[in-house]
Amino acid sequence: MGLLSQLKQKYKTLSIVGMAKNAGKTTALNYLIEEAMDEGVVLGITSTGRDGESTDLVTGTDKPRVFLDAGTIVSVPVKLYELADAGLEILSMTNYSTALGQIMICRVAESGYVQIAGPVNTRDHKKMCEEMLAFGAELILIDGAIDRKSIAAPDTSDAIILATGAVLSRSIKKVVEETAHIVGLYQLPVLEDGDAKSLIIKNQDKEKIMLVKGSRLVVLDLKTGLAAGKYLDEAIDEETDYIYIPGALTKSVISEIHPSKMKTVEFILKDPTKIFIEASLWQQLRKKGFTVRVLENIKVAALTVNPYSPSGYAFEHELLLREMRNAALGVPVIDVKLGGVFYEVI
Amino acid sequence: MRLSNVKTRGETGLDHVMQSINVLTPFGKKRMKEIKPFMPGEEEGLSEEFRKLEELLLLAENKPQIAEELAETFMDMKDVSFTIERSKGNALSVVELFEVKSLLLKMKRITELLVASESKLSEEFLLTDTGSLLDTLDPRRDRMYTFYIYDDFSETLGELRKRKREIEIRLRKIQKEIKLEIDRHYGITLTPKFDYTVSKSNKELVKIIKEIPELVAGDEDYLSVTFHLKGTEETDAVNLEMDQLNERIEEEELIIREKLSEEIFRTSPILLENCSKIGALDFTLAKAVYAKQHSCIKPELVRDHLIEIEDGRHLVVEEILNAKKKDYCPVSIKLFDGVTCITGANMGGKTVSLKLVGLVAILTQYGFFVPCKTAKVGLSNYIHILIGDSQSVQRGLSSFGSEMEELKEILDNSKDRSLLLIDEIASGTNPVEGLALTKSLVAYLKARPYISLITTHFDSVAVGEDIRNMQVRGLEQADFQKLEKELRYANRRERIEIIQKYMDYRLYQADNGEEIPKDALNIAKMLGIYDEIIENAKRYLKDGHS
Repeated sequence: MGLLSQLKQKYKTLSIVGMAKNAGKTTALNYLIEEAMDEGVVLGITSTGRDGESTDLVTGTDKPRVFLDAGTIVSVPVKLYELADAGLEILSMTNYSTALGQIMICRVAESGYVQIAGPVNTRDHKKMCEEMLAFGAELILIDGAIDRKSIAAPDTSDAIILATGAVLSRSIKKVVEETAHIVGLYQLPVLEDGDAKSLIIKNQDKEKIMLVKGSRLVVLDLKTGLAAGKYLDEAIDEETDYIYIPGALTKSVISEIHPSKMKTVEFILKDPTKIFIEASLWQQLRKKGFTVRVLENIKVAALTVNPYSPSGYAFEHELLLREMRNAALGVPVIDVKLGGVFYEVI
Repeated sequence: MRLSNVKTRGETGLDHVMQSINVLTPFGKKRMKEIKPFMPGEEEGLSEEFRKLEELLLLAENKPQIAEELAETFMDMKDVSFTIERSKGNALSVVELFEVKSLLLKMKRITELLVASESKLSEEFLLTDTGSLLDTLDPRRDRMYTFYIYDDFSETLGELRKRKREIEIRLRKIQKEIKLEIDRHYGITLTPKFDYTVSKSNKELVKIIKEIPELVAGDEDYLSVTFHLKGTEETDAVNLEMDQLNERIEEEELIIREKLSEEIFRTSPILLENCSKIGALDFTLAKAVYAKQHSCIKPELVRDHLIEIEDGRHLVVEEILNAKKKDYCPVSIKLFDGVTCITGANMGGKTVSLKLVGLVAILTQYGFFVPCKTAKVGLSNYIHILIGDSQSVQRGLSSFGSEMEELKEILDNSKDRSLLLIDEIASGTNPVEGLALTKSLVAYLKARPYISLITTHFDSVAVGEDIRNMQVRGLEQADFQKLEKELRYANRRERIEIIQKYMDYRLYQADNGEEIPKDALNIAKMLGIYDEIIENAKRYLKDGHS
C-alpha cells in the first residue's frame, strides 16, 4: 500500500511544517500530491497562509506552484482564482477573508497549476477543513508554518509531516541530530488521565505555574519560570509530584533547580512547542533523570528530507537518508528528490 | 426641509432602534440607510407602509419557521449590483458568474418561501421570475451553489476538453511505456514526474544512465544530476497539439462568458429590481420582528396635529431595566397644539417621558411601530428635542450658552405642526432671569401651532391660562416608613435603586393652581446628604429666605 493510502487511514488532516525556512516544505507538498495522484487518493489542499507563490517572499528562492489533478479539493482566494492554470469549479464562497480576497473552496475540474491560500485563523481553518472533507476530500494536506517556531498549536491538524534538510547545517550529523531532537520532543509522552491532569486542566486558564503534591494543587504567582529558577527550586519539595509550566521551558528555568529534585519531580507542559532547549543539553538533562510530559503532543506522521540547501551545498542522498532513518525513532523518512519510502508507516 | 436634526434622532432613541433592527442583506441595509420620514400630507403612503409591515408581522407570527428560513437565506447575500452593471459589454469572470448564479438561486429560494407561507403580500415583496436566466447559468439544472464553465455550456467546449484529456492520457501512456521500458532494460525506476536523480559519486550508475537514449541530463550540481525523459517526435507533436488546444479552450471559454454576461445584462433591470425588492422585504421583515419582540403596535394616524400615548415605554430605558430584570412603568400622555409642562419630583422620569413622546412621534413618521398600548399620532413638520448634553460642554460652550444657541435653531426652524420637546431650559443660569426667560418663552410658544412639551422645576411656569400641567406622581403614594427602613442599610448604588422602586413615574393632569410637590430635599436626604444641611435648608424655606 502506498504512503498516502496509509496516512489516509490514520489521519484526516496533515500539516506540512518546515524545520526551518527552505527546508523543502513546498517540494515535500508537491511530492505528496504526486504520490496521491498515483495512488488515486482524493486530496484536499490548503494552506495556513498564502502559499504556492512562484517565489518565496522571504528568501527569494524558487518555490513552484502546486500541480493538482482533477478531483482535488482546494482552497483558493478570489484574487488568485483567475491566475490558476487549472480549471476550478467553485463549490463554496466561505466567509473567511484574506488580503487576497475571500477564500473559496473549489474542485479541480481540469488539472493544472494552482496557487493556494487558506484562512489565517486556526478555528476558521479547522471549520474549513471540515467543509473540504464534506466535499469529498479523503485526506487534507495543509501547507503549514514556514518554520516550526511559528507552529501555533498542535490542534491545527491531526498530525504533521516535518520537512527537514540540508538548510539546517552544513554538517549531516547536526541536521540529523536537530531533526531527531524535534521529532523526540513533539512525540513526548502525554500525561495520562487522572487526578493530576484534571487538577492542572481545571486551573490552566490562570496561566500560572502550578505544583501538584498528591491530590493537592499549589498555584504559584508566577507566569513563567524565566528568571525565577531559584524561586522554583524553593517551591519544589519532597511532596511535589509534578510542576506545570504554562510558558516557555528554557535552560534558565531549570538551571537553578537542584539536580536531586530533577529525579523526583516531573515537568508538565501545555505542548511540545513550549520547549526551547537544544539537543545536547536535553540529552544531558535526560541522563540526570529530568523528565517532561505534555498535555497534548504532536504526532509526526512522516519526515521528508531535502539534501539540497538554497545556499548551494548538498548532501549525499543515500547518506543523509540512512543517517536520518537510523535516528528518526521509527517515523517514515522520504527523500523528496529521490522519492521512495524507507519505512512503513506505524 | 428636514424633519429633525441628528441630535434629535439620537436623543429620542430612533438611532438606537435602527441599530437594533437586524437587517441582513446589503439591499436591506441600503434601504435602511436611505430611509426618509413621512411628512404631513403623506399619511396615505405611511398607512401603506404600515400595512406592509402588518403583512410581514402576520407572516412572522403565523409562520415563524418560514420567517427564520427567509432570514437564513438573507444571511450571506452579497451585493452584486456592481457585477450586474459590469455585465454590459464585459465578459464577467467565473467568480462573478458564480455570484450571479448564487443570487439567482437565492431569489428562487425566497420566492419558494413566500409561496409556502401562503401569505397575501404586496407587489413590492414579490420577485419577478428569473428562472430562465438561472437555466442559462445552470445548464445541468442541478440547482447547486457551485459554478464552473462546464462542458455542458457548449458542444465545442465539451469536445475540445475531451480531446485535451485524451491527449493528456496519450502522452502519459507514451511516457509510461518508456518508463517501463527503462525499468525493464536498466532496472531504473523513474519518479511519477518521469525523472531520476542520481548521486555523482556513483560514477558507474551515472555512466549507465547517460547511455540511456530515452533520458537527458537536466538539473545538475556538484553532487548529483537529474535526468528527464527526452522528447520524442511523437511526444513533441502531442505537446504542440496540446498547446493549440489550450488556446482554443481559452477562446471558447471567453465566448461562453461573453454570452452569459450578455444574458445577464439583458435581464439586469429585473435583477436590480428584484434586489431592491429583497431590500424592502428584508428591512420590513426586520422591522416586523423588532416590533414583535418589543411589543410595538401600529399607531393610529390622524389628520389633526396631536399625540396620544397610552402606556408608552421608552425602548432604550426599557432595555436597561430588562437587563436588570426590572419592570418598566409605562406612561400615558395626551398632547395637542399649545404648551404642556411636565413637573414633579426629581428622579421622577420627566426627561424620559419627554424623550418617549419624541420617540413615538419620530418612529411613527419613519414608518415604525411604536412601543405603546395604543397611540394616536398626527404627523409633524418639524421635531426637535432640546436637552443638555455633554458634547456642547466639550466644545467649550457653557451649558447655558449651548442651550440658547440651540433654542435659536428651534425658533428659526419651527413652523406649522412642530413638535418641540424642551428639557429644563434655563436651569443653568440664575433663577430670577431663568424663570423670566422660561415664562416668556412659554408665552411665545403658546400662541403658535406647535405641540410644545416642557419639563421644568419653575412652579409658576406651569400655571396659567392655556398651559396644561402634567405632574409626575412621584413618591406621593409611597410608604415612607418602609422606604426609610430600606434605605437605612443600603449602599450608594442601592439607594438610587430603592428610590426608583418606590417612584411612580406616571403622569396626571394637575388642576390649575395646584401646588407642585417639593421632593428635592427629601430625595437629597435619601441619597445621604447630611441632616445638618437638610434641616438648615428646611429652615430657610420656612423663613422665606432664598
